[in-house]
Amino acid sequence: MVGPQYDLVGNPLGAVRSTFERAASGGHEPVAAFRGKDWGAGELFRSFLFEQGGLDKVPVLDESNLGLIKPNTLVRFRGMVQDMLGNEFYVGAFKDGSTWRTNKFSDSSPFSMPHPCDSHLWERHLFHCVPVPGQNSWTHESSPGPDVRRMSSCLTSEQREKRKRGAENDAMEVSENCNGEASCTKKPKDDDAQISNSSPEVSMNEEHVPEMNGGDHHIPGSSFSCLVKVYDMAESQVKLNDVAEFIGVYTFDPELASPSDNSDDIMFDLIEDVTAQLPPSKVPRLHCLVWRSLSAHDFLSRSPAVEPSPILLKGIRQSLLSHLTLVLGNDELAAQCLLLHLLSRLRNKVDVVTVGRLSMNFTGFNRESVSVFGNQLNNLIQRLLPYSQTIPLSIEYLNTATLQPRKDNHSGRLVTGVLQLPQGTHLTFDETLLQSGSLTSKGVENTMLLKNLMESQMVEYDFEFYKLEMATDVQLLTLSEGKSNILPSDLIVPFRPSSVPAVNASSEELESWRWYLATVRSFPQSTETETYQTIQDEMVNAMRDDRNLGCSELSRWLTMAQITAASFGETSLSMEHWQMVKELERLRKERLQ
Amino acid sequence: MAAASTKIIDFAAERALAKDFLSNFAGPRGEPKYLNILQDVANRKIRAVQIELDDLFHYKDADDEFLQRVTENTKRYIGIFAEAIDELMPESTEAYVVDEDRDILMTQRVDEGADGGADGTDPLQKMPPEIRRFFEVYIKAFSKVTPLTIRQVKASNIGQLVKISGIVTRCSDVKPLMQVAVYTCEECGFEIYQEVTARVFMPLFECPSQRCKLNKAKGNLILQLRASKFLKFQEVKLQELAEHVPKGHIPRSLTVHLRGELTRKVAPGDVVEMSGIFLPMPYFGFRAMRAGLVADTYLEAMSITHFKKKYEEYELKGDEQEQIDRLAEDGDIYNKLARSLAPEIFGHEDVKKALLLLLVGAPHRKLVDGMKIRGDLHICLMGDPGVAKSQLLKHIINVAPRGVYTTGRGSSGVGLTAAVQKDPVTNEFVLEGGALVLADMGICAIDEFDKMEESDRTAIHEVMEQQTVSIAKAGITTSLNARTAVLAAANPAWGRYDMRRTPAENINLPPALLSRFDLLWLILDRADMENDLEMARHVVHVHQNLESPALGFTPLEPSVLRAYISAARRVVPSVPRELEEYIATAYSSIRQEEAKSNAPHSYTTIRTLLSILRISIALARLRFSETVAQSDVDEALRLMQMSKYSLYSDDRQRSGLDAISDIYSILRDEAARTNSMDVRYAHALNLISRKGYSEAQLKECLEEYASLNVWQIHPNTFDIHFIDA
Repeated sequence: MVGPQYDLVGNPLGAVRSTFERAASGGHEPVAAFRGKDWGAGELFRSFLFEQGGLDKVPVLDESNLGLIKPNTLVRFRGMVQDMLGNEFYVGAFKDGSTWRTNKFSDSSPFSMPHPCDSHLWERHLFHCVPVPGQNSWTHESSPGPDVRRMSSCLTSEQREKRKRGAENDAMEVSENCNGEASCTKKPKDDDAQISNSSPEVSMNEEHVPEMNGGDHHIPGSSFSCLVKVYDMAESQVKLNDVAEFIGVYTFDPELASPSDNSDDIMFDLIEDVTAQLPPSKVPRLHCLVWRSLSAHDFLSRSPAVEPSPILLKGIRQSLLSHLTLVLGNDELAAQCLLLHLLSRLRNKVDVVTVGRLSMNFTGFNRESVSVFGNQLNNLIQRLLPYSQTIPLSIEYLNTATLQPRKDNHSGRLVTGVLQLPQGTHLTFDETLLQSGSLTSKGVENTMLLKNLMESQMVEYDFEFYKLEMATDVQLLTLSEGKSNILPSDLIVPFRPSSVPAVNASSEELESWRWYLATVRSFPQSTETETYQTIQDEMVNAMRDDRNLGCSELSRWLTMAQITAASFGETSLSMEHWQMVKELERLRKERLQ
Repeated sequence: MAAASTKIIDFAAERALAKDFLSNFAGPRGEPKYLNILQDVANRKIRAVQIELDDLFHYKDADDEFLQRVTENTKRYIGIFAEAIDELMPESTEAYVVDEDRDILMTQRVDEGADGGADGTDPLQKMPPEIRRFFEVYIKAFSKVTPLTIRQVKASNIGQLVKISGIVTRCSDVKPLMQVAVYTCEECGFEIYQEVTARVFMPLFECPSQRCKLNKAKGNLILQLRASKFLKFQEVKLQELAEHVPKGHIPRSLTVHLRGELTRKVAPGDVVEMSGIFLPMPYFGFRAMRAGLVADTYLEAMSITHFKKKYEEYELKGDEQEQIDRLAEDGDIYNKLARSLAPEIFGHEDVKKALLLLLVGAPHRKLVDGMKIRGDLHICLMGDPGVAKSQLLKHIINVAPRGVYTTGRGSSGVGLTAAVQKDPVTNEFVLEGGALVLADMGICAIDEFDKMEESDRTAIHEVMEQQTVSIAKAGITTSLNARTAVLAAANPAWGRYDMRRTPAENINLPPALLSRFDLLWLILDRADMENDLEMARHVVHVHQNLESPALGFTPLEPSVLRAYISAARRVVPSVPRELEEYIATAYSSIRQEEAKSNAPHSYTTIRTLLSILRISIALARLRFSETVAQSDVDEALRLMQMSKYSLYSDDRQRSGLDAISDIYSILRDEAARTNSMDVRYAHALNLISRKGYSEAQLKECLEEYASLNVWQIHPNTFDIHFIDA
C-alpha cells in the first residue's frame, strides 16, 4: 500500500497522517467513526514490523541511547508497566480548512488548532513503564536493535544542548523520589523550578538524598523509565506489572520540556499533571503503534524451532539435572527438588488455594556455605531465568526496605516497592544473615507482606484509604540455617552437599536449558480421571496413617507430581510420576528426621 | 462537543420551559416545591436551589427531549435555570439579617441604574446578573441511576451530567474564587464589571467606558475587592473504590471542583456519590500552547451524597425488590442464604446459619420503664488454628453494610472501646471512639478475642449487654452508644483444643463473658474418614480442573444478600401468646437437664431465654413474617443445641450412649411426659433435631426398635405408637 512512500522508521508520523487523510477523505462524516479505531495505520506498521522483518531496523530505546535517538522516529521499548496514569484526552482529529487532520501518535501539532467545534476529542491510555526489575543480562542479547550511535550523526546541536540540561536535572530526579517520604513536604514541582533557577539550591536538595531509601526504582543504578501512550486498546488488555514490548513514535519537544512557569501553578494544589513530574528530558514519551506482551519464550535468542518431543526434553532434563547436582555439591535429592521448584508456576488460584506454586526452603546453610553454594546457585538461576533477584534478609533490611508498593496520593503516582514484580520472577531470600534483634512496625509489616506472598501469592498494594491485593506469580527460594518461620515454604529440603562445586556450563547448554524451562513451564496439563482416582484413594490411606497430613501436603504432592510429569515432556500425569514423587518425599522425610 | 447539535436551540424557549417547570411543579403534597424554595432564597434562609432531574422527569408537561438536553449540556442549562429564577424571584416576606456591604452596594447600584447615568451601551458597565444573585443553582442527577465508576467516564461524557462513586483521597483548603470582578475608574467614577469564568483572569487596567474613551483619558481602574463577588471554592480528588477496580489494574482518580454551598462537605476517606458535569479544563498562559492537544478534565460537582452505611437507610436499587420478592417465595431461603455466606469455605452449615441470623438480628426493645433489651446477637467462634475462622469473620464484615474488623490486640491506642486523647494542636481533650463505637448499628468482628487486653475485656461486658461505652477519664464523663453485634473468634487456651481437658479449661474465657454470647461455637479440626475423603477429593479436583468442585448451587451475590437482609431487618415480628407456653417449657426443660447432669457444660440463665427469643425473631424476620412460628423456636433450640453439641460431643460418646439409643430415650421420655403411647413423627423429628441428631438417625432408630417390637411405626405417616410391655 503506502509502504514504499514513507520511511516507516524515520518518519512514522508521515505514514500515519497520510493514511489518515486518505481514509478521512472518503465518505461522509467519516472522522467520528475513527474514535477508538484504527484506520489502517496500525495494520501498516504491523505488517512492516512482523511480516517484512522491519523489527530489526527499529532501535531499542534504553538509558544509554536516550539522547541519541532522533525525535519522531520509530523506536522499541521493552519494559514492565509500573504505573497506570489513567487516560488523557487530546484533540484526535480536527479540521484544517476543509481537510481533516489527525494528532494521533504525537504530542504536538504542526498546524494551529481550530475552534473546538471542528475537532474531536479522543482518549489514550498512559502507562509508566520501567525496565523489568531483576531482568538478567542474557535477555538483552535476544533482540538487539541497530546501533543507534551510527544512526545518530544527524542529531542537531540544539538537541544536544537540551540533553545537557537533562543531565543537570539529575539531582532533581533524585529529590523527586523523596516526595514519597513523609519527612519531605516539598512538592516536586517546586524543586523543579528551584533547580533550574539557581545552583545553590541544588546542594540543598541533595541533602535530602540520604533520607530516601531505595528510591523510586529498586533496580540499583537505574532510574530510567518511559511514558508509553497507548491508543485504541480495550481497558483490560494491559495489566499492571505486565512485561511488554511497545513499538511506537518517540517524541521529544524541547518547548514542552522546559520547566513550566511557576506562577501558573500557584492556584493548582490538586490538579497537578502527573506527567509534569516525569520531565520529558528524563522520561521519554513513546506513542505506541504496536505492542505485544512478552513471555519467557520471547527472550530466548532465536529460539530453535523444535517440536518439544518427550525424547528431546528428557535429554535436556537429564543434562540440567546433572548440572544442578554438581552445583549443589552432589546432593541429588536437593537437585531434583530444585528442578521441580524452577519449573513451578502458578497455574490458577481457586478461591483461597493457589495451585501450582512450589516455594522451596533449603535448610542447613550457614554463612560460609552460602558464599560457596549460594552464589553458585544464584549465578545459575540468573543465567537460566529471565528475571531473578536475591534479597538478603537481615533485620536491618526488614526494618528499612520498602517492600510494599504504595500510592502517593499527593503526587498521584504509584511508588514502587521491592515486591512489585512481573509474573514469573524468581526471588531468593538469604536468611543466614538474620540475627536476633527487634523489628520495628515497618519490619513487622514487611514480614507480613512476605508471608502473605509465600502463602497466597498476593501482594497488598497500599492505596492509603484501602488496600488492594494484586495477584503475583513469583518463585520463592529461601536459604536458611533451620526451617524458616518467617517465610513458610511449601517444600523444606535439608541441604547435604558432599563436594565443592566447580562447574561451568557452555553457552549452548545454557541456551537449551533456558528453552527447556520456558517450554515446560508453558505446558498445558491434561486432566485424566483414572490416575487421579487412584491418587485420591492413596491420599485417603496416607491420611489414615498419618493424622498430621493436611490439605497443604496433599496439594503439594499433586503439584510435584504434575511438574514431574511435565518435566519429562508428558502432558498427562501417570502413576509412574506419582511413585517418583512419593519416593522423593520419603527420602526427604528421612532427612528431616 | 463537535457541533453535535445540528439543530439550533432557541434558548428563550428553553428558558420559558424552565420557568414553567419551576413555577408549576408540584411536590408530593401538591405544594409548589420550587416556588417554596425560591421564597426561602428570597428570605435568605438558603442559598442552594437544587433542581432534581427526578422532578423534571415526573413533571407532567416535561418532554424527554428537554430532559436529555439538560443532561447533555448541563452547564448551559444551569445558566438558563438561573435566568428563569431571576425572573421568578419573589419578594422577601420576612426580615432577614442584612449583609451590609453587599446590600448597600446593591442599593447604590440600583439607584445609579435608575439615574440612567451610565452609558448603558457598554457591556462591561452593565451589571452582570451573577452579582445580583443570592443563590446558586445545582442540577441533581437521577437518584435511581447506578453511579458510574471513574473508569467508565469517557470522552463522550464531556459536558454531560454524570453520577460517579468513589472515595475522597485529598481535599484542598477552601479558597475564594472570584466570580465577578468589580473595578472603579479613577477618571469617570463608573463601576466596571468583569465576569470571571476561568480560574485565572487578566485584570483590566484601562477604563473601557464611553466617557473615558471619548476623553482619551485612559482611566486607571482600581479593583474593588469588597464589591466583587466571590465564591467558595474547593478542590477534591476522588479515587475509584476498591471493588470497582478490575483485577490487575490500579484505581483511577478524578479531580472534582466544589463550589459555594458544596464546599466543606467531604473529608479524605469519605465514600461518596457525586453528580456533576464532566468538563475539560481551559488552559491559559504557557499551558495554552499545549491546550490544543491535551485537555485536563474535571468534574464540577452538583450534588454530594455520602454513602449510607446503615441497614435502616439502605435504598433498594432497580430490580432488587423484585429479586427479594422472588427469593422470599422460595421455601428454602434460610438454607440458601446461609450457604451463600462465604461459599468458598467448605461445610460449616450450621455456623453459617448462625452468622446469617447475626446479620439479621432482632429488633431492640425499649420497655415502658425505660429498660432496654438488646436485639443484636453475639456469637463467638472458637476453634483450632487454620479452620477459616478469620475468613468467615472477614466475609461477614464484607456483607454487612457497616462492619469493623479488628483484632483483640487493637492496633491503635484507642483500643476497642474509646479513649480520651489530647489533641496535639489545640491541647484539648478529645474523645476518640474505638472499634466498637465505630461499629455502632453494625457488626464488630473481633479476631483473637482471647488475646484481648484485660481493660478492654472488662469494658466489653458493658458493650455486650447495655450496648453503651461509658467513659470517665480526664474530666470527661460520658456514655457512647455501641449498638453492635459482636462476632468474636478465639483460639482455645493452649492454641489447640486439648481433648484431655474439660471444655471450660479449653475455652479460657470467664463465664460472665461467655454467658453474654447467644451462641458459642467450637470448630475443631477433627479428622474422620468422611472428612478425609472429602478433603482428598477437593484437593484432587482443584489440581485436576483448576476450579473448585461445583457447589451444587449458585451462591447469591453479596449485594443481593445485603439487600435481602436489609429488607428483612425492617420487619418487627412479635411472639404470639400461644407460643409463650411452648418457649417456657423448652427453657425449663433445658434448666432441668442441666440440673440433672453432674458436670454442667453451660450456664443456662435468663439470658439463654432471651437468646432463644432473639434467634426465633431473627428467623421470623427472614421469612418476612410478622409473627414468630413454632418452627422458628424449634430451629432456635436446634441451633443452640448444635452449638453445644459442637462443644460437648465427646462427652456423649464417653457416657456410652450411642446416637440410636439416645434418640430412643428421648422419645421414651417424651411419651412418659405427655402420658400417651403415641408420638407423632413430626414432633419426634423436632425433638431429636433439637438435640442435634439427623433425620437419618431417627429413621434408623425407628427401624431398629420397631424390629425389636418396642413400638409400631405407621406405614404412611411414620407416627410412633409404643407397645406397652
